Amino acid sequence: MGTEVELLLEAEDSSLLADVEAEFGRLETVLSRFRSDSELSQLNEAGAGHVGPELLEVIELAIEARAASGGRFDPTVHDAVVAAGYDRSFELLDNDGAGASSVPVRVGGAVAIDRTAGHVALEPGYRLDLGGIAKGWAADRALAVLAAAGPALVNAGGDVAAAGRVWPIAVEAAGEEITLGLEEGGVATSGRDRRNWLCEGEPRHHLIDPVTGSPADGDVLTVTVAAGSAAEAEVLATTLFLAGDSRRALDEADLAAIPTVLVTSAGEVLLAGGLE
Amino acid sequence: MKRTIVTTDHAPRLYALVGSILGFFLAWAGIAAHPWAQTSSSAEPQSAALATYSRRLNADAALVALLAGRRKGASSVRVVTLPPITTTRTS
Repeated sequence: MGTEVELLLEAEDSSLLADVEAEFGRLETVLSRFRSDSELSQLNEAGAGHVGPELLEVIELAIEARAASGGRFDPTVHDAVVAAGYDRSFELLDNDGAGASSVPVRVGGAVAIDRTAGHVALEPGYRLDLGGIAKGWAADRALAVLAAAGPALVNAGGDVAAAGRVWPIAVEAAGEEITLGLEEGGVATSGRDRRNWLCEGEPRHHLIDPVTGSPADGDVLTVTVAAGSAAEAEVLATTLFLAGDSRRALDEADLAAIPTVLVTSAGEVLLAGGLE
Repeated sequence: MKRTIVTTDHAPRLYALVGSILGFFLAWAGIAAHPWAQTSSSAEPQSAALATYSRRLNADAALVALLAGRRKGASSVRVVTLPPITTTRTS
């Protein structure tokens, strides 16, 4: 999944940490779009096939999130992200956008899931990118294991899942320090402050607006959200980021009582959804 | 018995033939010029923009229904003054 993972556990027996670390390594071979031998890459290549329980679960979660977010969160953005220039693990990405295309790519392909048979079929011409939601899901899954031993926190590249006590989590907010105390659930951030690059001198980022098939416009720099789980927080953060402008994102966060820290391109830090 | 001999005047036929050929080439030139093309090309971006707008409206309608129906208090979080133990950032 191209990210660092941080595990914190307050317990006498720390042997679980090694098990969880190994599990993250295994999930990388299932869910990464950057490894040609991953289960996800093989599904994308074939267009259809039988998949293991983990991949099936994350795909189901992503498709449910697409429906729930009115299509703003969409796992079929794979080709649009690649067309924007993000075609390999970010550490390996050169900053010239050599593989980028200015042509918007269609998003929103059908994904047929047969849960009983463990079979997934993608609409021809579409592939899946489970990046953000896979990290959140993996963090939630790891937390469930660790939390049985004591208060625990899992941070998978910024997607945080925590339980057992109040965990102070810093939000990167344009020079300001904001710390959220999370007792149970998840926190995630979506934005264009990282995983961005230049293509022919034009800034590009990895958050695709499914309506246009191109990196999203707007005055939002980052959105940090707290929710019942890291996967849900990831979906909500992306959904609010893709609202198009900060005012609208804040209105939506207030409407749905989603605890939100929003940073604008101008450096304003705004709270919504019950945070103050 | 009286017989009437009708003589043919070729001039009108010649004019008709030349007129037909001229008309044919004028029509051909008119069709080849694609007079409808300008209307079509200007309508395509408008049509695409309308389709995009329509898709966004539909998506937003679904989202508003979701947000309005979402249960409150799904997570327990507040702003604190404790020293942070980890950091969330764009993933």
